[in-house]
Amino acid sequence: MDPETDEVRQIEAGAVPTRFARGWHCLGLTRDLGDGKPHTRNAFGQRLVVFRGADGRLNVLDGFCRHMGGDLSQGQVKGDDIACPFHDWRWGGDGRCTRVPYSRRVPKLARTTAWMTMEQDGLLFVWNDPERNPPPNHVEIPRIEGADSDEWTDWHWYTTVVNTNCREIIDNVVDMAHFFYVHGAMPTYFKNVFEGHVATQYMNGITRADFPPPADVPTLLGTTSVASYWGPSFMIDDLIYHYEHEDQHTVLLNCHYPIDANSFVLQYGIIVKKSANLPQEAAMQAAVGLGDFVKLGFEQDVLIWKNKTRIDNPLLCEEDGPVYQLRHWYEQFFVDAADVTPDMVDRFEFEIDTARPREAWQQEVDDNIANGVQVWVRG
Amino acid sequence: MTIRADNRLLDAPPVPVHCRRCDATVQVRKSSWAQTSVQWDAPAMAACAQRRAARALAGHDNGLFLVCSDLRATIEDAARRGEVPILDEVQANEA
Repeated sequence: MDPETDEVRQIEAGAVPTRFARGWHCLGLTRDLGDGKPHTRNAFGQRLVVFRGADGRLNVLDGFCRHMGGDLSQGQVKGDDIACPFHDWRWGGDGRCTRVPYSRRVPKLARTTAWMTMEQDGLLFVWNDPERNPPPNHVEIPRIEGADSDEWTDWHWYTTVVNTNCREIIDNVVDMAHFFYVHGAMPTYFKNVFEGHVATQYMNGITRADFPPPADVPTLLGTTSVASYWGPSFMIDDLIYHYEHEDQHTVLLNCHYPIDANSFVLQYGIIVKKSANLPQEAAMQAAVGLGDFVKLGFEQDVLIWKNKTRIDNPLLCEEDGPVYQLRHWYEQFFVDAADVTPDMVDRFEFEIDTARPREAWQQEVDDNIANGVQVWVRG
Repeated sequence: MTIRADNRLLDAPPVPVHCRRCDATVQVRKSSWAQTSVQWDAPAMAACAQRRAARALAGHDNGLFLVCSDLRATIEDAARRGEVPILDEVQANEA
């Protein structure tokens, strides 16, 4: 027996992490969350309440009232405070109890957790740090040029719950081949760069010819995409669709926050740049159309995630991306800031040779066309 | 959690390359002429002139830096001279 060939590869998987990533997490659109009503967010293993007070500040507090445990997100905004539905205790945006209407005074230690928040480009971010330190300056989320511009549409936004640990979605950053098999794209260029708290995927692709194109839209020739995670959960994708007659510039946000170790809320948002051929209404329609397309893409991912197993020792071929290095990068968000090591943050570049995959995939596409096979049909 | 080692690195570890422009040392691995991985460290990042220039221009592209063309050319030359093995070819010769 040859031990080299007869040994079976075992899948290894440790427990999912018990702490939640340090970093800015987007909780949603300020136009939804900032309407003056309390909103519930189940995040980081807890209940949070999000509300905009009369002072205009958008606040995030621990959701359970320190008095008798009432759910503040079921309460009401009264003035600058959130009022508990159980006994009307009032909590300010700084987490302090400001008033107990039926009592002479507020008890000592009447303080709950207030989360650091940031409003930017129509989005509400919350800073999570198990060590309870404020964010260092260098981890800020970059501005999105089109987000507050009349030349671009407003956010077209989706939210969905995914029942798996959020590392699965991070793996997509490096997973070149799944774009063909799961999403029907044909990558022609693929490179990853990890540096500091930023992980970037450069990807150019063309459309599979064995795909029935959606009806009534111009022929899509290909895409150019530069997508970066700024920290553990917030990805900005500068995504250009190359059509027969013009390019369409879009920004795709792909962000999430953990509900607990085994589920997360996936959110994605799209804005589309308007053009002479693409005035307001048409651009918004394009955003909706692209949004539906992206939604389909994530649904394809979710189907895989739902049925796959967690794997800490993926067995990689040379045409796969740098899964292990990505996980080193991702690890920096799960250790204390003092324990971040150079192998987590030092610059790393990985360019895939797409020649061999393209050859194989083109053959598969040609065979499908010759045999009249439609791989799958877009919804 | 301990991150495991990439099985590909066990087969063929990276080799050091010194950039001819700034003398930064990086660890390079090439499985084919077109596939390259480059591991930098802090001294190399500080030494790279192109990266510093990109930092100075940050804002336009959020400071993203795709590649140093001097380093890329150095690596290609090193590969042509056989100092960076091309694993495809090594394996083809062994077969």
